[in-house]
Amino acid sequence: MISAEQISQAGRAREVEPGYSFRGALVEIVRELLATRELTRQLILRDLRIRYKQAVFGVLWAVLMPGLIVLSGLVIRFAVVQMTGSSFDRRMAAALAVKSLAWGFFIGAIGLATPSLTANSNLVTKVHFPREVLPLSAILAQGVDSGIGAVIFLLITPFLGLGVSANLLWLPVLLALLLCLTLAAGLLFSCANAFFRDVKYLVQMFITFGIFYTPIFYEPATLGPVGAKLIMLNPVTPLLEGLRLAVVEGHNLLVPLTTQAAKGVIVVWSPWYLAYSAAVAVVGLVASALIFHRAEAVYAEYV
Amino acid sequence: MNVPGVRCIGVSKKFRRGEHHDSLRSVIASFARSLRSRPPAATVSDREFWALRDVTFEVGPGQAVGIIGANGAGKSTLLKVLTRVLRPTTGTIDVYGRQGALIEIAAGFHPDLTGRENVALQGSIMGMPAAEIARKFDQIVEFAGVSDFIDTPVKRYSSGMNARLGFAIAAHLDPDVLIIDEVLSVGDLAFQQKAFGRIQDLVKSGIPVVVVSHQLDRVSQLCTHAILLDHGSVICQGTPAECIAEYLNPRRQGFTASAAESPAVIDRVTLETEDEVVSGGSLRVRIEGSVGAGGVPSHVDPAVVLVMNAASGALVCAIGSSGSNITIAEGAFAIDVELQMNVPRGLYVIQAAVWNRRTEQALGAGPSLVVQVGEGIVFAGPVQLNGRMALAGLAARA
Repeated sequence: MISAEQISQAGRAREVEPGYSFRGALVEIVRELLATRELTRQLILRDLRIRYKQAVFGVLWAVLMPGLIVLSGLVIRFAVVQMTGSSFDRRMAAALAVKSLAWGFFIGAIGLATPSLTANSNLVTKVHFPREVLPLSAILAQGVDSGIGAVIFLLITPFLGLGVSANLLWLPVLLALLLCLTLAAGLLFSCANAFFRDVKYLVQMFITFGIFYTPIFYEPATLGPVGAKLIMLNPVTPLLEGLRLAVVEGHNLLVPLTTQAAKGVIVVWSPWYLAYSAAVAVVGLVASALIFHRAEAVYAEYV
Repeated sequence: MNVPGVRCIGVSKKFRRGEHHDSLRSVIASFARSLRSRPPAATVSDREFWALRDVTFEVGPGQAVGIIGANGAGKSTLLKVLTRVLRPTTGTIDVYGRQGALIEIAAGFHPDLTGRENVALQGSIMGMPAAEIARKFDQIVEFAGVSDFIDTPVKRYSSGMNARLGFAIAAHLDPDVLIIDEVLSVGDLAFQQKAFGRIQDLVKSGIPVVVVSHQLDRVSQLCTHAILLDHGSVICQGTPAECIAEYLNPRRQGFTASAAESPAVIDRVTLETEDEVVSGGSLRVRIEGSVGAGGVPSHVDPAVVLVMNAASGALVCAIGSSGSNITIAEGAFAIDVELQMNVPRGLYVIQAAVWNRRTEQALGAGPSLVVQVGEGIVFAGPVQLNGRMALAGLAARA
């Protein structure tokens, strides 16, 4: 064993913090996550097993949430149809189902990811591993859940009058962007919740009322020319609208779409909407990951 | 450094006392308050304390370092810094090689999952690849002795089964560097023996080991080196015997009166025989000291020898000069003490002190010695009663 005096000299030289590099930090995050794939897999399995093990509903859990959203949407649509005297379209139900699945994933994943650091405090304060795996596995576990919901939706598509078009190729792009956006929010909120416990209540509120600021029960066009643009500021909106247009309407998302209304021309879709969402998702994900990673060293002292 | 090891240089860790703001509400409220009135002058130094202060050591292959100290001395903080759970405020830690930690061994268990599922989960938390977990699964279950319950949720396990399974997983890591926190007391006596044997094997295999334990006899058996921590600082760094002796020294234990009151001083305590004996073997200790100008009052014994069990700190035996009809009026003295170590095997501390019989307090504590007692005469219990059996009668078989 070497005494303090003998190595104190070496110690002084090493205390200088190496310069911070964003690229270096990102590479480190990715490398650590790749090295702990097995842990992520096991945590996803844990979350799924717990959810399905003692639940009477079993797999029904996966369709319960989007199913409820669809049902609520149908009630509202029915009321609108009654009021305006317009006709009810099967495609409305299909659009509702697509959006509900995506929205259900988004809020479900954020709801699970936000408390992930504090809920696993026994691990965070005792064992070292990249903390990113906690929100990541919570989000991916919800992804598996929503995936089951999507498969069940696929089974009923023939009854909703949905066709197959080349524009379905937009689906993976939109889902990838939705995942990025969810990861960005999940990382940021779970990090914030480690320091401030009331963040999860704020997030809960945001999840509850978010549905009013996201066009799921209504079309953006019903908000008028200005409103239809403003609602696109919500980065989830272009993704959900994109899903509806590509999957239900078979529309190519590179082509803008306008309708003529009494108050003027309404831009229902523009590729720029998607570009905006994509920018928020990607920049947001990089920023949240860096913030989360920066705070990683002190989580054990706060959770 | 290419060989596995741990290098810890000038590591300090500062913690904050009391609660810090842990909700946005309280942050906003205190921010609003601070706008109206200036906060009280800097109390930062009062609210912060050093859990670790400038700790430096190195562990290489074939070395096992035991970290001992009272509760709150900073032992667990040091281990958390070593395992990278906490980042040190200053200083650097380098761990070379794959690190295995036997810390809070069942931390990752989920009560609703079965033993089998928890082994996979906990193994991956500890950094074992899936293939390795699968390969060692049977060994782990067998070591823990829970094979009949491996498909039962662990919430139905007894606490001992839980801890045994946790230990078994951790013990089957193949680390280059092993860090152990107070897991030597898992399960019942039989399992403790088994667990200790497993750790001993790992230490003997030559990998660097850092152990935190309150079981001082275990530390002295396992470790080649020791570090005594007190309030975050290293008090003593050396052999386990030196550190344990310093730890158990009454001056540190706080049951001594101030030295100024003492009418006598003990300067040296030396062992005249080998520092390893077997149960039943004899030890000779020489105590050297002096009695002050005024002599000693009748209720003060200038030289008392206390023998304590190092593992428990319990007093085993006390022998005093006045009880031995030795009176020292004034001046320097040397006393030889002969002890027959009729004690079970283990680690014992021999402590000389000036003793006040009225207050039952040590006045001036002298240096202490640590003696390892090995297996000698058979102790089937805590004491040896020299029991003998003889056949007194036998009825003839019909």
